[in-house]
Amino acid sequence: MTPPDASTALPFRDRTSPLTRVTSAAFALGRFLRQKKLGGFGLVIVLGFSVLALFAGALGRYDSTFVFDTENPNFKADPTVAELAEDPDIGSPRVVAQFQAPSGDHWFGTDRFGRDIYARVIHGAKLAMIIGFGASLIAVAAGLIIGVISAYYLGWIDLILQRVMDAIYAFPFLILILLLVQISEPSTRNVVFALGFGGIPFAARLIRSAVLAERGSEYVQAARVIGASDFRIMLQHVLPNIGAVLIITFSIGIGAYILAEATVSFLGAGPRNEISWGRMVSSGRGALDIHPWESVFAGGAITLLVMAFNLLGDALRDVLDPRLRGV
Amino acid sequence: MQQYIVRRAILNIFVLWIVATLVFFAVHVLPGNFASQQFASANLGSVSPEAIARAEAVLGLDRPVFEQYGTFLWDLVRFDLGESFRSKRSVWNELGRAVPYSIELGVLIVLVGFTIAIPVGIISAVKQDQLPDYVLRGGAIFALAAPVFWTASIAVILVLQWDLFKIDVDGQPHLWENPKSALQWYLIPMFAGGIAGTATTMRLLRSQMLEVLRADYVVTARAKGLPERTIVMRHVLRNAWLPVLTVMGLTVATIIGSQIVLEQMFNVPGVGRLLFQAITLRDTPLLEGLVLVVAFVVVFTNLFVDLLYGLFDPRVRLA
Repeated sequence: MTPPDASTALPFRDRTSPLTRVTSAAFALGRFLRQKKLGGFGLVIVLGFSVLALFAGALGRYDSTFVFDTENPNFKADPTVAELAEDPDIGSPRVVAQFQAPSGDHWFGTDRFGRDIYARVIHGAKLAMIIGFGASLIAVAAGLIIGVISAYYLGWIDLILQRVMDAIYAFPFLILILLLVQISEPSTRNVVFALGFGGIPFAARLIRSAVLAERGSEYVQAARVIGASDFRIMLQHVLPNIGAVLIITFSIGIGAYILAEATVSFLGAGPRNEISWGRMVSSGRGALDIHPWESVFAGGAITLLVMAFNLLGDALRDVLDPRLRGV
Repeated sequence: MQQYIVRRAILNIFVLWIVATLVFFAVHVLPGNFASQQFASANLGSVSPEAIARAEAVLGLDRPVFEQYGTFLWDLVRFDLGESFRSKRSVWNELGRAVPYSIELGVLIVLVGFTIAIPVGIISAVKQDQLPDYVLRGGAIFALAAPVFWTASIAVILVLQWDLFKIDVDGQPHLWENPKSALQWYLIPMFAGGIAGTATTMRLLRSQMLEVLRADYVVTARAKGLPERTIVMRHVLRNAWLPVLTVMGLTVATIIGSQIVLEQMFNVPGVGRLLFQAITLRDTPLLEGLVLVVAFVVVFTNLFVDLLYGLFDPRVRLA
């Protein structure tokens, strides 16, 4: 056996060209879409909603706060006092176009204040996206720190951290979020932080078990033998190897955060001054018998986006780490 | 076994102490309290700081935080949850009124959830990758994503549009007082909540069944010519539903969450609605009491489920 040529074997540097990387990423994506049709479907919807959120101004057709008016069918030039008492709008030639059914002008109809529901649903995508990605990012970042420390040191640090996680877990998620949002100012930022905080135990648990699995492996022992510091081992050796779990944890939670924000907003405790689908469902409930459209479309948007994120998260999990099935 | 129960129970109490501490400091350290909230909602315009301070003194909110924490813990040890700021009734009294409603609705939700999930899970697994499986799995994916307040609203729309049935509810009846009226009242929330809670159970039951269907003893059962029905019911289901039991424990937390929404929507004076009121009004003693009771139910349900697990499956040893 001839010894390998030292000049080609060393140093271990990644020599793949950027072009190769792009094409191999494209192939990986193609394989993902072929193998995981539902996941691909989810991906398409998520991308679609991202485009809607980014270009809401152009794609929403109308301004989301513009109040439309319409001709008053009951208009009378000089109403009597008795007629005015019965219908205060009778003297004005144009009235607010409230509760219009879906039409060519207003695809989803108009709401109680004469605003275009389609425009508001499209603008609502912004908040949902910010909430989903922001909260999940916070949960994964904090869960990473807690999970790695907990699994790496074990012992009493692990015991205490895990019991604190259990305590947060013992709050039903919704109660925790309501509590946190209500005692702070209900702004978008605070809602994102509250949701992210509520998601920490879930993220920390997944990441902890991933680190536990890596902890005993040979390469960690080898690093310890050559005298690497704990910090270096965690950062350079463990972290790159739990990348898949991090991606899974990040993507699989997004749907739940969007759903929770919608629920909190439905209950009237969500971010103020933002168009929220949850609040739209709630405001549409005021006139369900004559005008169900606002509730129907806003709730449909929530369901569709949450479903897309769930499908995408499940598919990513199956592809990246099938062992995590059932989390 | 006994040792295990005792150890878990002690750990649970430790967890409850952390919950109590978290809630206490969350509501006491951050700005705003019941007094300022009351003045703000009364719309009195500008209120002098003295008036707020006087109101705080009456409620005992002016004392140092750690002193209040000490009293709070001492009262807790004696199972004294204090009295609600708003109603001036004791928290136990408030709970006594609210809990029956929540248990009624909760049990109905669980019943609906499982009567849907179990057959759906079985059919989906037995007809794997055939049309019924696709339809049912699609339904589960949808149920997992649809917010419970939306499905409930849609149900209300359908009932209103098609005049399906008259919701003729007199007061807030209990099931045992006026079953007909109470059922009409609970019908939509129990189905909305049940459907929302069912998806996870159904998916898990399906995947467990699929695993068991491939086991050697199922092959043997088929080989000796048992009817498919017996195989599924007696050999597969029995071995597949244990992990489902664990999920039931987790479902309790989800159901309590959806009950907040449903009780709020349908005017059920249960724990969920009380909790929501306590949060919005910052009725501190009521809030702390309710959160603790809910957390108690959650952690001890989990313990109970783990014990059941050991009881049904002799392979699981709890030590």
